[in-house]
Amino acid sequence: MSASILTVDDSASLRMAIRIALTGAGYAVTEAADGVEGLAKATATRFDLIVTDLNMPNMDGLQMIRALREQPSQAGVPIIFLTTESDDGMKAQAKAAGATGWLVKPFQPDQLIRVAQKVLAK
Amino acid sequence: MSGEDPTAAFRIEAAELLEQIEQGLLDLGHRLDDMGLVNAVFRGLHTLKGSGSMFGFDALAAFTHHCESAFDKVRKGDVPATPELVSVILSAGDHMRALVEGEAPAAVGDAILARLAAAVEAAAGGVPVPHAPAAKQGWRVAFRLPADAMANGTSPLALLDELRALGEAEIVAQLDAVPALDELRPSDCLIGWDCTLTGDIAREAIEDVFIFVMDDMTLTIEPLAVEADSGDAAAPAARGEPDAPVRAAGAPAVVAARSQGEHVRVPAERLDELMDRVGELVIAQSRLSQLTGDGQDLALRSVSEEIERLAGEMRDTMMVLRMVPVSTLFGRFRRLIHDLAIETGKAIELATDGETTEVDKTVIERLFDPLVHIIRNSCDHGLESAEDRIAAGKPAAGLVRLSAHQAGGEVLITISDDGRGIDGDRVRAKAEANGLIQPGQAMADEDLLNLIFHPGFSTAVQVTNLSGRGVGMDVVKRTIESLRGSIDVRSIPGQGSTITLRIPLTLAIIEGLLVRVGQGSYVIPLSAVEECLELSLEEDLRSRGRSVITLRDRLVPFLRLREMFATGTRPDPYQKIVVVATGRERVGLVVDQIVGNHQTVIKSLSAFHRGVASFSGATILGDGSVALILDVGQLVALAQPQEETLRAAG
Amino acid sequence: MPQDDVLAASAAAADDRIAWSPHGELEVLIFELGGETFALEAIMVQEILDLLPETFIPGAPELVAHVVNFRGKIVPVADLRLAFGMERAEATKDSRIVVIELPLDGETMLIGLRTDRVHEVATFQQARADEVPAVGIRWKRQHVRSLIRWHEDLVVLPDLGAIFLSAMRGHPSAPVH
Repeated sequence: MSASILTVDDSASLRMAIRIALTGAGYAVTEAADGVEGLAKATATRFDLIVTDLNMPNMDGLQMIRALREQPSQAGVPIIFLTTESDDGMKAQAKAAGATGWLVKPFQPDQLIRVAQKVLAK
Repeated sequence: MSGEDPTAAFRIEAAELLEQIEQGLLDLGHRLDDMGLVNAVFRGLHTLKGSGSMFGFDALAAFTHHCESAFDKVRKGDVPATPELVSVILSAGDHMRALVEGEAPAAVGDAILARLAAAVEAAAGGVPVPHAPAAKQGWRVAFRLPADAMANGTSPLALLDELRALGEAEIVAQLDAVPALDELRPSDCLIGWDCTLTGDIAREAIEDVFIFVMDDMTLTIEPLAVEADSGDAAAPAARGEPDAPVRAAGAPAVVAARSQGEHVRVPAERLDELMDRVGELVIAQSRLSQLTGDGQDLALRSVSEEIERLAGEMRDTMMVLRMVPVSTLFGRFRRLIHDLAIETGKAIELATDGETTEVDKTVIERLFDPLVHIIRNSCDHGLESAEDRIAAGKPAAGLVRLSAHQAGGEVLITISDDGRGIDGDRVRAKAEANGLIQPGQAMADEDLLNLIFHPGFSTAVQVTNLSGRGVGMDVVKRTIESLRGSIDVRSIPGQGSTITLRIPLTLAIIEGLLVRVGQGSYVIPLSAVEECLELSLEEDLRSRGRSVITLRDRLVPFLRLREMFATGTRPDPYQKIVVVATGRERVGLVVDQIVGNHQTVIKSLSAFHRGVASFSGATILGDGSVALILDVGQLVALAQPQEETLRAAG
Repeated sequence: MPQDDVLAASAAAADDRIAWSPHGELEVLIFELGGETFALEAIMVQEILDLLPETFIPGAPELVAHVVNFRGKIVPVADLRLAFGMERAEATKDSRIVVIELPLDGETMLIGLRTDRVHEVATFQQARADEVPAVGIRWKRQHVRSLIRWHEDLVVLPDLGAIFLSAMRGHPSAPVH
């Protein structure tokens, strides 16, 4: 069975790009437009991987990651966040919040797929 | 479904982001220390840059990066927000728009960035940034993950697999940190690993394996052979981030608050297609009810009536789908006012109301240019300088007010200012000079003012670069009339002027008056119809050779459509005059017969017929035949004597 | 007439615009108009309709002075007789409207063509196509792309692009009043 991935981003174009890349690589992709929706969807279904933007309205990525990590059911779910440049401050905060890894924008589809493969246990 | 194009989606998104950024900046201009606004603008710039770089808009990303950095400084409190900074980023926004469109001269961008740098410097000082690590063959790798690594989604097994994939690996687990079972939390990762990797492996490749956890873990990477060259043989790092976790307060409550407004984005042309289908349905339905109307089959009639009701409801729902709030239009003028204030050196405030009033999206789009022109006029000619205003006992800042409200099937949009008003004497002098009116001709003030909409008239005694841009108020009027709307101006000397636009709510369907001229059926938009009169045979004969009739002591020009359309038929003995008006101008249209009201779905004419001035479109009647819709604005213009002479001369 | 020069130039280019297949064949719809036989590429044909009620547009170009309701769209109906200098004629029970799709001036237009009778779909051979002689034909040369021998007939392949472009660009007669 293919791994299920939740992508959380307020940018529809980015979500579309991520979905096209990941579904192309055989993953099942669910989309959420902000942290609140992401949290709701992740809480309802346990995904194999969550790819999230940090910078979002309503609930940003950091808050969502923290909220997710407070739920025992989300323990061990890899969370990759998207960040713009090598912003150490943001990276450290996201890591502290419980993120697994990150991807620096801009990225190519295969970079995204490689990161997904990297964190998804076989 | 194919046709998914992230780049196209990005363009739309970028336009929205830029709009948000602009609105945020304009608000920020008034409240420079509002950190919420600073953050909103920063977030917008950040997203724009990030997504831009994703979709190959490199120039946009690079340019936006500078603006984002500047705002980052404001966000972090290194630099205060200043009016100049806001102003520079506003022009930067225009450049970003051009970059999205792909037609931005680099020189413009450079100039803006230079201004930006100066603005940031003026607000405070600069900030530097450091960064970068370096790399060899055959390694001893020792690592210990943070205790919460597994909970946070890192799989040690996956890391070990990655190491194995690099070269021949010998792995030994270190259990020294594992406590007694009664103290062990099963989710903690307490095992350390020592790994001997042999092969020609770059150091970066190993570091890459740990890229996501490197900052929080203990990692030593040492060359196997004794190589005494580099000083940085080991890169241990153990930095616990001292981050006070801000709790996502009451997350479930937020989830509940969300489901209030789900939105679906639909391409406009699909809406138009649907509108077409609904239009056809309405037509088919009216044919059906004609067929069943006089029949005896009650069951059939009741079905027909049911379909009539449904089709009507569907049409109404469809109309609502196309409606967008006027705020989308008004919002765009805040920027214009901001720019005009700078250009004219006047303090100008914008007030809006009725922004939730909804209008057909096509109407909104087509109203933009006319409103720009009217607002420019107000700011340029209407509003006085601050000194003059104070001398006149007014507040120093001039006020431009945009308001909208719905009245029946129309929307009234008014643009008013509290400036000096329009100088009736100047209008008269200009109109007389241009031969629009006779010297000293008696005229109601309102009629006099409305001469500013006459082709060729320009109120600007001295043309400034603002209003003197080639379009006159006559173009504004024509645009409004092409929307089947009307325009009217009022002014009180010393207190300001008000321009009122009356626009139909929608362009897709109109109430029409169906008339017969010769053998042909024509539709006159009902909103333009003032009254219908009988044209008696005597009156008809008496008016031969003339083109005006007297209507309650007013002379009204009229057009005999039968002659104009060269029907070659004899006039009906009971001809009618339909008096139509746009604004204050009216004309009587002589028709053979008035058939009745007709709910009209407007269809456009083909390219062969768009040049035919008398018609604005066509519609399909209940029997499936086509009727032409009269273009009232054009017909009124045609009947104006001055126009006629102009036409003859041209 | 300077306008005719322009049309002649576009007509010269039109000869190359007959899309013969690699085997030198062309699928066409053959119809009759004013006693002559005409053909047009079958691929253009959208539909063949019985006569519909037509609406006259005062002030419209003469060639396309009427419109009909074709499936909810307002479609101009053209009388090609006018382009070939033929007498107007009343419709008969065999008259049909052939609705075609024609790319014109950057947009694809639906146009109805009045015909006296629609014959059949046939395949033309390029080998049987003739150059349009410079003299000796009754019609404006620039309105004809080619003449093709078919059975006993000489069939006219009209240049609809040139014909309709002149209608679109030409000045519509001004409304009379």
